[in-house]
Amino acid sequence: MVPEGRGPQPEGVVDVSEKPNDTNEDGAAGTPVGRRTFLRRVSGVGAAISAAMVGIPVLRAFASPTLVHKTSDTWIKVADDIALLDVGVPVRVNFVQTLQDAWVETRALNGVWLYTDDGEKFKAYNGHCTHLGCSYVYDKDRKDFFCPCHHGQFDVKTGAVLAGPPPRPLDELPVEIRDSAVYVQYADYRLGVPEKIEA
Amino acid sequence: MRRILAWLDDRVDLVGIRRVLLDRKMPSELTWWHTLGSATLTVFTVQVVTGIVLAMSYSASPDHAYDSILYLQQHVLSGALVRGLHHWGASAMVVLVMAHMIRVFTMGSYKYPREVNWLLGVGLFFIVMGFGFTGYLLPWDQKAYWATQVGTNIAGTTPVVGETLVKLLRGGTQLGAATLARFYALHVLLLPVLLVSVVLVHLTLVVRQGIAPRAHVLEKNAPARTTDPAYPAYYEETYAASKGEGVPFWPNIIAKDLIVATGVILVLLLLAHFKGAGLEPPADPTDTSYVPRPEWYFLPFYQLLKLVPGSMEAAVAAGLPALMVLVLLMLPFFDKRSKRMLAHRPVARLALFGVLGASAFLIGASVRDEPPAVPPEVGHPLNSVQRAGRALFKAQQCGSCHAVAGVSTPDKNSDVPDAPDLTDIGLHHSASWMHSFLEDPSRFHTDSKMPAFGPPTLSHEEIEEISQYLATLRGPHGDAKEPQFVDTFPEPKKLQEHP
Repeated sequence: MVPEGRGPQPEGVVDVSEKPNDTNEDGAAGTPVGRRTFLRRVSGVGAAISAAMVGIPVLRAFASPTLVHKTSDTWIKVADDIALLDVGVPVRVNFVQTLQDAWVETRALNGVWLYTDDGEKFKAYNGHCTHLGCSYVYDKDRKDFFCPCHHGQFDVKTGAVLAGPPPRPLDELPVEIRDSAVYVQYADYRLGVPEKIEA
Repeated sequence: MRRILAWLDDRVDLVGIRRVLLDRKMPSELTWWHTLGSATLTVFTVQVVTGIVLAMSYSASPDHAYDSILYLQQHVLSGALVRGLHHWGASAMVVLVMAHMIRVFTMGSYKYPREVNWLLGVGLFFIVMGFGFTGYLLPWDQKAYWATQVGTNIAGTTPVVGETLVKLLRGGTQLGAATLARFYALHVLLLPVLLVSVVLVHLTLVVRQGIAPRAHVLEKNAPARTTDPAYPAYYEETYAASKGEGVPFWPNIIAKDLIVATGVILVLLLLAHFKGAGLEPPADPTDTSYVPRPEWYFLPFYQLLKLVPGSMEAAVAAGLPALMVLVLLMLPFFDKRSKRMLAHRPVARLALFGVLGASAFLIGASVRDEPPAVPPEVGHPLNSVQRAGRALFKAQQCGSCHAVAGVSTPDKNSDVPDAPDLTDIGLHHSASWMHSFLEDPSRFHTDSKMPAFGPPTLSHEEIEEISQYLATLRGPHGDAKEPQFVDTFPEPKKLQEHP
């Protein structure tokens, strides 16, 4: 058995383009488009359509991270009704935050302190002390925040450091009132440094 | 450009490559059936390309596999479409490989001198089936889990080596995390390398040996047997003559191949778009009511096992695939008559139609046996809260009194025969109504036999999860029907005075 392509062939031709000796009967002179040309075009169109039908969805899925802009809502409802919140006394609100990392869902327990002077304007502080992240409490006698770990003290109205080792004021969080419910945009910041840098 | 081409030609002999690959003459009168092999190769390319993107959003662990598929379907652009292409592409691979084999069998092309390529083809067929079997488990939904459970159990009935075989397949005694990782590794690492290697040899032989001329051409004046010393000479002569009248591979044959390939991909795209890949509830190893069903191409075998008496099962389960492999592999060696047309091969004809007929009959019987598919939940997959509710529904034995199509069948001896059917409860009551009802049914009906599930039996979160799950039960209507709630709440109970 003789393998393909080993037969006698003309030597020394460096012509990579289409061979002109089209022996096909349909490719006769006179027809505007020869059979070979027609078949070549059919092949080209077929290949292009096939590639597009598979390529477009695949490339779109591959490039999906650059095309989808996630408008994730990090606002968390911390109180149903502002009317129920005490004026002049801070309240601590704990909530479970669901964090979504692609298909992995994790839950974290976090908390904020809410404070209002007038029942209209609210302040929210991240529940972690800026020193080393302990949960601080409200000292009813002194009317300030007190961190039991290293005795840091913060002002209730501004979050400013009154005493102790904390390097910066309490981390204030954006607050919004929607239909008389209180929403907080929760974020954690790096601990133990004077600058407020998101962790 | 011309200079670059000339340089390349000088170094790698472009003209020679072109002559061997593209300008080679094909025998005359090749049919459209001759495009099946190239169509299979095209679909394999689709599988590779879509598979790579699928793997980017997949986690081969029971904890995350299902959620990663959901993520792909819901959050990756065209994710559902790509998965649909891969899913239907898998079926297309099996169909095309089988059709290609049947073409080669029918036209007698496996005979002299192409016996080796037939053997390689048989190998490819089993590799493709391996892809189907391992890929089926990966979504880790009910269907995937239970079909693999059955599949691996069948392997376990093999005499002597059964137990070892199961452990080898599952990566342990149980179907679980190790199985999923194992199947994933086989599916994306071993099988592709194996398939590509064999395909390369298969194609090299196709190029070197050429396509077999049509059966009637190779039959004329042929010696009776291919083992006849005169046969090779006869073959060379006939083949050369047939090629002499033939057409070049490019563009005549390639155009045909590409027309078919485009058509096949279009069908895949339509199926992927309109039917998608489907996803059942996540795998639940504790579910005893699920009726597992393998993918359609395993159905003939699956149905056959149902018809076989228990004592014979092991023999059939292990023997039939072994026999199949043996027959396919030996075919070119015991069939040495030079007749190639099916009309002149009565035994081959009988065998082909016998196998095809039996398979069609078994698939038909299996489809008829299929339990009526009432989707127990709304058309879309459940979220994590609803899934938790579903698990609680089971754990609390709700199904021992209440019927839910496809999920539970109550115990007939139950002393509460009038417990309402919950198949489409989500159409009649809101989740909040169900929450109050579950807490204390006696507030709604004083003579209700249903126990109260309020604290301390279940926490409020748990009751909410069950309620959210019940709200998804909409019978066969899915999302199509708008719920009509008839929620009447009882008078609020007098608040108890706290001491």
